[in-house]
Amino acid sequence: MLSLTGRKPVDTREPFLEIHELSKSYAGVQALTDVSLNIRPGEIHALMGENGAGKSTLIKCLSGSVRADSGAVEVNSALLPAGDIAAAEAAGIVALHQESTAFPHLGAIDNIFIGRELRRAPGLLDRPRMRREAHLLMERLGESIDLDRPLEDLSLAQRQMVGIARALSRRSRLLILDEPTASLSARETQTLFRILRQLQAEGVAILYISHRLEEVYALADRVTVLRDGRLIGTHPIGDVDRGTLVRMMVGRELLEQEQSESIGATGDVMLEVRGLSRPGEFADITFSVCAGEIVGLAGLIGAGRTEVAATIFGIECARQGSILVRGVPLIPGSVRASIAGGIALVPEDRQHEGLVLPLSVRDNLLLSVMNSLTHIGFRSRWKERASVEKSMRELGVKAANPGIAVNTLSGGNQQKVSLGKWLATEPRILLLDEPTRGVDVGAKAEVYRLIRSLARSGMATLLISSDLPEILALSDRILVMREGRLSGELSRAEATEEKILAFALPAGLDASLETATETNIAAGSKAV
Amino acid sequence: MTNRTVETADTPIPSGNRSLSTLLHRLARQREYAVLALLIVTLSVVGAVNPAFLSGGNLRDMLVQDAPIVIAACGLTFVVLLGEIDISIGSLMGLLATALGQLCSPSHAALPVWIAVTLTLLLGTGIGLLNGLMVTLGRMPSIIVTLGMLTVLSGINLLLMNGKWITDLPPGLRWFGVGTMLGIPICLWAALFVVLGAVLLARETPLGRRIYAAGSNPDAARLAGLSVWKLKLFAFTLTGFLTAVATVISVPRLSVIESGVGQGFELLVVTCVVVGGTSISGGRGSIIGSALAALLLGLVRPMLIFLRLGVSASYWERAIQGAFILLAVLADHLARRTRRDARR
Repeated sequence: MLSLTGRKPVDTREPFLEIHELSKSYAGVQALTDVSLNIRPGEIHALMGENGAGKSTLIKCLSGSVRADSGAVEVNSALLPAGDIAAAEAAGIVALHQESTAFPHLGAIDNIFIGRELRRAPGLLDRPRMRREAHLLMERLGESIDLDRPLEDLSLAQRQMVGIARALSRRSRLLILDEPTASLSARETQTLFRILRQLQAEGVAILYISHRLEEVYALADRVTVLRDGRLIGTHPIGDVDRGTLVRMMVGRELLEQEQSESIGATGDVMLEVRGLSRPGEFADITFSVCAGEIVGLAGLIGAGRTEVAATIFGIECARQGSILVRGVPLIPGSVRASIAGGIALVPEDRQHEGLVLPLSVRDNLLLSVMNSLTHIGFRSRWKERASVEKSMRELGVKAANPGIAVNTLSGGNQQKVSLGKWLATEPRILLLDEPTRGVDVGAKAEVYRLIRSLARSGMATLLISSDLPEILALSDRILVMREGRLSGELSRAEATEEKILAFALPAGLDASLETATETNIAAGSKAV
Repeated sequence: MTNRTVETADTPIPSGNRSLSTLLHRLARQREYAVLALLIVTLSVVGAVNPAFLSGGNLRDMLVQDAPIVIAACGLTFVVLLGEIDISIGSLMGLLATALGQLCSPSHAALPVWIAVTLTLLLGTGIGLLNGLMVTLGRMPSIIVTLGMLTVLSGINLLLMNGKWITDLPPGLRWFGVGTMLGIPICLWAALFVVLGAVLLARETPLGRRIYAAGSNPDAARLAGLSVWKLKLFAFTLTGFLTAVATVISVPRLSVIESGVGQGFELLVVTCVVVGGTSISGGRGSIIGSALAALLLGLVRPMLIFLRLGVSASYWERAIQGAFILLAVLADHLARRTRRDARR
């Protein structure tokens, strides 16, 4: 049932898949409006757009997990029944969704074949044949993994390979990848790219969704941009430059270029960290942050940045060293003491650590200050309302009303609420861990503006980010961590992406710097 | 090539305590081995203290006691693999026992034995199906559905019994409880057959693998085109059917049927499934694990007797069985933690 022999290169002129005026609305909200698109065999077609632009809805309609309201999908001029996963798979359309579609407790063989098992007799599996074919598929991808090991024990990249193998086992003619590199390291990204190019050469079309311009320019043949559920345009990648592409996505000029003036005049030392160490995580961390200063903390993933922030906030207890707030040592390992000292941490994983998703915007904003907004020991609705209104106004949270659940908001607005929850405690020291992860371009600019205006009002800010342009745009000073140690410090004036990377990458890997920068710093730095 | 984070990502287990954590993994993953080891240790220790424990007669008696638990556990394992639970099987067994007795007892319906048995199996299957329908189409949590079912069934049972025991079971029915084939009790044949069938289903059929998959990640299962609700319906129905089988081969062992049949049975079976290594959140577990755990837990009471610890010692039975549950959950927790730490 499988053809593992590879395919002949196909003429890339004629589209084999056509999407005609697809529309879809959810509960009255128009997610997709009259989107038309075609896909040619063997092309890598990038699909871009801000969060909420309709990319996910489009691929769900294509792969049959959602039924479009109107419009049609044709494969080789044959109409594809809407909302039918099996029919889409039979037509060769396979989607690897952003959320893991793997079965973590099962091995690669089951993961590849589930739903389309090979049988020898009615109702009995043909294990030897499944193993052979799984082996061949992995060979074709150039990856060797233990086929019996539960997927949860494999690396993210290996799990993704299994997902691709699953797609190939279904004779996929269109492979849909939704932000496949979001959690891959630079090397894993390279491997993925190699495999995608190989599949392309075999005539498989790839619809590639990514927020990363660099990846799109490195891989894609054509790019389609969606905005607010509408098609903005499809172009050969050579015909659009980055500025145009961003404008197409955002629909307006980005204000981010205001490369803000360095505040320069900073106040007293607010936060001082001396010789902080936690075995296995970080060692001998010493730095300080002044009032009104934004200090960027850069480094690769696993360099220990998040752990340092967690320790300053008292979630973890340092083995050695001390943390001083305005010269007063903090009780180690006590979140309560840190909050009392005026520290706030906006965590990296806002969906799990930063917000209580099913609760309303109001309740989330009140979580951290509920105790102080009371009247003789009972909740004071009046004080609460005033506090919530103030937060929402200052942050520019776009929500119909404070009573709606946070998980209905866009990523950017969620991040603002997560930030607002902590600002309500009126901190003097703000620890931001990846404040714009998963936030679209427009909302990013607003978060930046917010961080800057907080700094102007005297907030001491420690900004952890893997997004180098972000660190460069916001920081007055940049600290770089490598393998649990501070490896360098750069002033705003001297900092460049290359210099930060040179400090961040392990020593003696000069060659790697080149590769990393080439495959786009984001791939390296996101891995960062 | 580029940086160290890449390498650590590729080797999830730090080399330092690799062997230990690998061992822990394997033990947690393959709970069967741990349970089997404990089973053998218990058998040999108690056997050393009192050799009569290992006599053919005693072993056979213990297995006969375990048979209904093993049979029901095979069904419940599939339910738990799907992340659901069925706590109604105890009172289902009580009701089925009453139904079976009244259907064939000369002083009640006086039907032929084979018809009574068939109707009992159909009734069990039907109630399992009903549980499944409420959980899947009714979209209600299985713990609530089966808690309600537990109460309803035991209420109906009391009504049917009307305070009287059934004492006139026909000899044809008693055969299911005390009869033998090739010198081996019927109930052991039944248990053997059910276990083999369940193992085959779990390992060698698409249906079994899909149950694992749907329990492991229901969303992904849906995206893979599986009907998760059908799988659940199947598992609940199978559990109802197997509970009926367990009833038919265990209840006629005694010459009377009273209203207390099946009390606490659901707890024993749930304990077996959990101790046998099936994760209560679904996706992981095995039939063999559940069956071995049933044998292990079945050892507790005879062990206490054969160790001659005095009369009050047997009161410890429930406490020890409870400790097994807690140990099993603790083992799961530790395994998950070592795995998480290993990944850091």
